[in-house]
Amino acid sequence: MNKLILSILLFSNLSLASDGNSGENHISIIMFILFVSVTLFITYWASKKSSTADGFYTAGGNISGLQNGLAISGDFMSAASFLGISGLVYLTGFDGLIYSIGFLIGWPIILLLIAEPLRNLGKYSFADVVSFRLNQRPIRILAACGSLSTVILYLIAQMVGAGKLIEILFGLPYYSAVIIVGGLMILYVTFGGMLATTWVQIIKAILLLFGATVIAVLVLFQFNFDLNLFFNEATSIHKKGITILSPGGLISDPISAVSLGLALMFGTAGLPHILMRFFTVPNAIQARKSVAYATGFIGYFYLLTFIIGFGAIILISNNPTYLDTSNTLIGGNNMAAIHLADAVGGEILLGFISAVAFATILAVVSGLTLAGASAISHDLYANAFLKGKQSEKNEMFVSKLATILLGVLTIYLGIIFQNQNVAFMVGLAFAIAASANFPLLLLSIYWKKLTTRGAVIGGSLGLFSAITFVVLGPVVWVDVLGNPNPIFPYKYPALFSMTITFITIWILCTFDRSENGYKEINKFDSQYFRSQTGIGIDANTSH
Amino acid sequence: MKSNYIHQLNVLIKLRAKIIRPLLFLTIAPYFFFIGVIAFKPEMFSPFIFDTHISLGIFLGLVLILLIFIITIVYVYLANKFIEPQISAIKK
Repeated sequence: MNKLILSILLFSNLSLASDGNSGENHISIIMFILFVSVTLFITYWASKKSSTADGFYTAGGNISGLQNGLAISGDFMSAASFLGISGLVYLTGFDGLIYSIGFLIGWPIILLLIAEPLRNLGKYSFADVVSFRLNQRPIRILAACGSLSTVILYLIAQMVGAGKLIEILFGLPYYSAVIIVGGLMILYVTFGGMLATTWVQIIKAILLLFGATVIAVLVLFQFNFDLNLFFNEATSIHKKGITILSPGGLISDPISAVSLGLALMFGTAGLPHILMRFFTVPNAIQARKSVAYATGFIGYFYLLTFIIGFGAIILISNNPTYLDTSNTLIGGNNMAAIHLADAVGGEILLGFISAVAFATILAVVSGLTLAGASAISHDLYANAFLKGKQSEKNEMFVSKLATILLGVLTIYLGIIFQNQNVAFMVGLAFAIAASANFPLLLLSIYWKKLTTRGAVIGGSLGLFSAITFVVLGPVVWVDVLGNPNPIFPYKYPALFSMTITFITIWILCTFDRSENGYKEINKFDSQYFRSQTGIGIDANTSH
Repeated sequence: MKSNYIHQLNVLIKLRAKIIRPLLFLTIAPYFFFIGVIAFKPEMFSPFIFDTHISLGIFLGLVLILLIFIITIVYVYLANKFIEPQISAIKK
């Protein structure tokens, strides 16, 4: 398999060379082949340890806090956020910072409210926690729907972005780029499970942080690390002048502001591929450490993208080498970081950053696929349909089958959506995570009165309303479907869909007088005890 | 014995709340203040701080990123120092 991929890549290299393209592609292709070879070797090594369910879903539960912190940041820092946020800073200045902070603000929430109880109650997926004392079947089905819709939306957005990026960077046709990414992702996850995925994410996080640091340092070096001079220079070059240092209309009305704020703040705590990472550490102490490390790495990364965006304003926005005839960046604004790498570090840095961008895509889609596959095999198949009576071997078989199916589906959707505007999909994924996954998780951990009836109906309404509001709103109804006016006026649904979820759950649970409801409420105290202390996890899980 | 154990559990729950609540407030309040200024009074973020060329908005944004990281560090420190010994006491 390794040889096959090498030959595909070498072939693409040859076709590039025959196009008479410049030499920098050779460096990026060599670096990329190196990354793929190392990660496939790791996958081979991990395949021996991923045959059990525990190995496949949690890498045996022996990942350290620092390793998991790196892997979480590798899972979370996508090529979209690296290139997209630096591109947004390049274009608008300050407004890019609003997104950076939004993607970071969810982490203290995860740490303070979710990480430790999640680790103490769950085994393989966040649905384990929600269904801890509630009725397994309906809760698992709902949680799996929430997970799968989040994961698939995220995957499509990553895949389309990946195809286009690789098209520009390596000169590969869109289709083959999507197939290579999908193929590698299937290999990593099917054979190497969580262990291979973790190491792919760790290596990628180190490469990305290193590459972004080099660009930022080389940029600031030109200004003797004087931020005052740096910002002064940027405002004198950018056509919007000093307005790029203040809010520029990304968010204009208060409702959108609060709604976007809520989705980012609580959505992160409902992303299944992120939550799943907490089962790879041995205990709550390490879970806690992993969030602090991850927050540090991700925060540092966003500081770098901010410097890179401003650096691009100064160093490339007036340089004809990087502009096309209409005076915009070749390949679009998202290429700001890539062009800047070339401007400050020549073709070696450009090649390195291109390879890192590719590695970044692979790491993120692998984590997503693993979370999606576990929702299918662990939540739907093993617990909802077979009610936990299956053999572990069977569940493993289904999880691998699910990985391959999801991978093929992702490649297919990536190709279908090639020319669609997919920018709304990550936003929708966050809205669903904040409106369905997060409320279920939060209330099941902390609210004694939560019963199955309220959780299932409230969670379903949250999921359904988040999707409906986005489809009827300006981004899909008007921008994608081409209707003149939106039916739902706001771009971001979370304020409304989260309210629907919480109010529905509160009303239904408060008035739930069923016998099952009483039983579930009575189980809360022992669950709470375990979530707070971790006592009992050794008895129920094998690690 | 049993009453002692319930007492220790209550101490743990109160201790956790005492640590988590202020940190949660320090996360949510500055963030919504930041978003609120952007939505309601964006011009408030325009002036330069001191006599530099760095706007108040950029300065506070960068401070907020730092604050978010500090909150996680403070929690890990407090949890390891105060919560873990209490959990160990309950385990015994």
